[in-house]
Amino acid sequence: MRVDIKGFTKPLVESLVAIVIGILVGAIILAFSGYSPAEAYIALFNGALGSKYGLAMTLSSATPIILTALTFGIGARTGLFNIGGEGTVYFGAIMAIILTNLWGNVLMGLFGGILAGMAWMAIPAILKVLRGVNEVVSTIMLNWMAYFIALYIVLQKIPNPEDPNKTLAVPVSARFPIIMKGTELSWAFAISVIAALITYYILWHTELGYELRVSGYNERAARYGGINPKKAIIWSFLLGGIMSGLAGATEVMGRPPSYAISQGMANIYGYGFDGIGVSLVGRNHPLGIIFSGIFFGMLRAGATSMQIEAGVPLEMVKVVQGVIVVTIAIPGLLDLLKKVVRR
Amino acid sequence: MIEAVISILIGALTAMVPLVLTSVGATVSERAGVVNIGYEGIILMSAFFGAIFAEITGNPWIGLIGGAFVGMLLGMLHGFITVYLKGDHVIPGIGVNLLALGVVAFGITAYWGTAGQHQVPTNVRVAPIINTPYGSLSPMVLITIAIAILTHWVLFRTPLGLRIRAVGENPEAADALGINVERYRFLATVYGAMLAGLGGAFMSVDWLGTVTKQLSAGRGFIALANMVFSGWNPLRALLGGFIFGFFDNLSVWVRTNPEIQRIVPWQFVATLPYLVTLIIVAGIIGKVRPPKADGKPYKRE
Amino acid sequence: MEEVPIIEMKGIVKVYPDGTKALKGVDFSVKKGEIHGLLGENGAGKTTLMKILSGMLHPTGGKIFVNGKEVRFKSPADALANGIGMVHQHFTLVDVFDGLHNIILGMEGHGLFSKIDVEKAKEKLQKLMDELNFQVPLDVPVEKLPVGVQQRIEILKTLYRDVDVLILDEPTAVLTPIEVKELFEVLRKLKSQGKTIIFISHKLREVMEITDRVTVLRKGELIGTVNTRETTPKELAKMMVGREVVLKIEKPPKEAGKPVLEVKDLWVKGDRGEDAVKGLTFEVRAGEIFGIAGVEGNGQTELIEAISGLRKVEKGKVILNGKDITGRPPRELYDLGMAHIPEDRIHMGLVIEMSVAENSILGLHWRKAFRGPLGLIRWDKVKEHAAKLVRDFEVSVPSIEAPAKSLSGGNQQKLIVAREVSKEPEFIIASQPTRGVDVASTEYIRNYLIKLRNENKAVLLVSADLDEVLQLSDRMAIIYEGKFVGIVKPEEVTEEQIGLMMGGIKNES
Repeated sequence: MRVDIKGFTKPLVESLVAIVIGILVGAIILAFSGYSPAEAYIALFNGALGSKYGLAMTLSSATPIILTALTFGIGARTGLFNIGGEGTVYFGAIMAIILTNLWGNVLMGLFGGILAGMAWMAIPAILKVLRGVNEVVSTIMLNWMAYFIALYIVLQKIPNPEDPNKTLAVPVSARFPIIMKGTELSWAFAISVIAALITYYILWHTELGYELRVSGYNERAARYGGINPKKAIIWSFLLGGIMSGLAGATEVMGRPPSYAISQGMANIYGYGFDGIGVSLVGRNHPLGIIFSGIFFGMLRAGATSMQIEAGVPLEMVKVVQGVIVVTIAIPGLLDLLKKVVRR
Repeated sequence: MIEAVISILIGALTAMVPLVLTSVGATVSERAGVVNIGYEGIILMSAFFGAIFAEITGNPWIGLIGGAFVGMLLGMLHGFITVYLKGDHVIPGIGVNLLALGVVAFGITAYWGTAGQHQVPTNVRVAPIINTPYGSLSPMVLITIAIAILTHWVLFRTPLGLRIRAVGENPEAADALGINVERYRFLATVYGAMLAGLGGAFMSVDWLGTVTKQLSAGRGFIALANMVFSGWNPLRALLGGFIFGFFDNLSVWVRTNPEIQRIVPWQFVATLPYLVTLIIVAGIIGKVRPPKADGKPYKRE
Repeated sequence: MEEVPIIEMKGIVKVYPDGTKALKGVDFSVKKGEIHGLLGENGAGKTTLMKILSGMLHPTGGKIFVNGKEVRFKSPADALANGIGMVHQHFTLVDVFDGLHNIILGMEGHGLFSKIDVEKAKEKLQKLMDELNFQVPLDVPVEKLPVGVQQRIEILKTLYRDVDVLILDEPTAVLTPIEVKELFEVLRKLKSQGKTIIFISHKLREVMEITDRVTVLRKGELIGTVNTRETTPKELAKMMVGREVVLKIEKPPKEAGKPVLEVKDLWVKGDRGEDAVKGLTFEVRAGEIFGIAGVEGNGQTELIEAISGLRKVEKGKVILNGKDITGRPPRELYDLGMAHIPEDRIHMGLVIEMSVAENSILGLHWRKAFRGPLGLIRWDKVKEHAAKLVRDFEVSVPSIEAPAKSLSGGNQQKLIVAREVSKEPEFIIASQPTRGVDVASTEYIRNYLIKLRNENKAVLLVSADLDEVLQLSDRMAIIYEGKFVGIVKPEEVTEEQIGLMMGGIKNES
């Protein structure tokens, strides 16, 4: 195994420091907004970790964001800022619903997610390879287009005849079995962990992964080394598309009670953006992403308890997430902290 | 029909304001060599805080200034990370965008106690200076045009502009001549973010009169596309902003037109500004040349 | 009475953040009105010392005096204010600005927000140019000007700031012999106006010709300062290198075999769309080193990139072992027996963030030896391979897991040579193989190229180092503006003839 323990220590500590800073700044904002930070955080952590139910909710909330984080992480490791996970999730979910309603089994659903993800991510890939379009701009534009197109499909093409508030549901035969009764945790979580492990293997143990990483670091060296950087770009987008497509598919196939997309897409909205934070905190490494995904899942799972018990709007956790990511962006964070502490 | 065209064109003049301000700001920042993709978040947060400032003071102009001030603060954060700490130029922007999603969604509920949306009272919104039967124009339209022209003049005619462009093209050259690369880069970054903040506040206390967590709706990125489209030139960004603003406004107009809706679903029309942006960006790449040291941290040793 | 030197540096120490000791306590003193040579090999610390004097770098230790007064420079602005200006080896010009704006940058006059007075600046510059007896176009973007003209703009830039001390870092590296002559005239003119000039070089001949005194540095230490008139090139060479013989290169005579690489009427465009290679035809035979000499920027880079599949061929053919390989991608070329030591090791030859082991398979990573089932890479085999390269080529590395950026320049280059040789090629391109490399590694690499030739490989050597080409080549071409001025045998021409050819002048004799 090529896991370099020593090399992991510094980024790990940096991520932990960023998390602590995020929580502290969050506390300050809470206090300024007239809430009790202690009460809020106790409710949050208690809700997410204090019970088996909470833990199950944490893991189920981690499932989609681990997958969308892999999209960003694969991009980052191959020199791309792929922000397109968000829009891809919608189509993954839609395609999974359509295919499972035609053929009612899990594999067709996953296949649907993969297919839709690859197809949608092929667009920024082609734009980049053929026209040199910057992927940040293209994927953001595509996210917005995806939002409206998906909204149209959800409302007009796959409405639920029995329930106007959601789409057709994934049939029972194509749903992931629930791991713990009474919770939302299904075997979909295993899919996200397996996807992360496979991503790790692809990037660090295959010829394709080697070529993707070389291209990511240095395009000229890649060309010199007999690697086609355009091919690497396309593969990076396609692999990323698979991950976010799966995020959408597993969300409708493994999340009780609805197993469908709600009318305003609220239940599948925002995973792509959260995934970016997950990936950055996980240092864009598939194995780091599993852990940071669980941490972010905890925030999501605990947010509801925080809202109910402490009366704090649940969007507060997004503030914490935002602060964490901004903090992660500060280079030499540890050295900077040491200097401040010494003073 | 002609009425409709005039009304769309007047609307485009309004819709261009946040785009032009952000594009012009981004142009100055990138001319100095600092890339910032956090304008989306800056627009959003400035819209939120601008509305709060306006409501507290009862003066929309203080709302606008307050929005610009919030933009400045965020620009200082970005400048500190990228210019002084030599950090990556893209990741802080991603962070600010994520932060904005949280702050605004949380803030709307925490401050106004409403869920997802807040209506800014009419008495703290900027009053139009020109009223026509086809729509009205805010004084901000004129201010925006003035800012674009003035920025252009400073960038291409004055020592300040020469130095800003020098540090973005070849920081070593500027440094060797005793120009403080970091200072000019930092100031350009702050100026860029400030204009985006002004544009954001314009959206809440003037144009739309509302605050939502989706208010910016990709405008920060459309503005970056416009900057590229304009070849990092403020005057052309004014023109480009009008074109992008036109499609922005067109999609809103079509959405409210029942006859067209029968033919094309409104959701498809809503994709128009983004689709146009993609097409334009795909069409112009390779024909424009970004500043040579754009997005590259400068370290002397 | 002893005159106070205009510049006096005492005990200058410089340690870079990565721990490299570039200067180990150097004393350096310059008299007013002289042309002072600063001589030394690559890595001797000449440029570092002068960057400290011009305020670009801060010394770790030591003192600087200007006209006997101690000074401390925080930035180049401070140095300029004290009358010290430097023309860097890599010009610091803003490509898209014209000459005028490059020159007045930072000294535009008036307030930051007022309009720049272009006419006034033009007048002042015209006067300056008249005094020096040369002209440069002031309203053309400098990227469109030849390097010789760009250099004059750099010189004007410092003079516009009324400097008394002008530092020139390897100013002749990019010039043709004729341009060098013209530059020297300008320098003499400046001297006659009372300016002091510090002339950094590693070329003995030039230092002998233009300077009054010479200071020699070696490995960050002062070796000595001598009067030019009282020394000889031989003595300077000894001071510079520390031993009599520069390099031990043994090259037994050898008959060349069949052509391995054939280039026929090759046309290649440069980055700006101009014709960079204009109809070159030549062949490289088995068991020979074919050298290409010339001032950099005359189409060498484009030629190599076209042959190695990295740049589009506009017209003409490249044939390897009888097979037409024009326009084929690098991967195919490597499989057909080509290897390529690229001129830019940091940005092309290595992925400096990746480990030595990962770098050791770049360009042969698809080979069966490293391949397991399912497209998996067998890292155990890769590590064996890397360890062997490191051992065989005496590459000094902390570990094969260490990132390539932690290696010194010489070791990075040896790693590349080792990897390219491990491709078991029949044809090797060696482009600037020893640039910026320490003496020991240089000797090693040069001898290895000869070894490859002796093993009947075909070697194409491109180097801006004329001595290197002369020493190694069996046949050599001189390239000028994308064309060969001639193809000669090194032993059959004089240095003077080659110098003329490098300036584009063909010697009919």
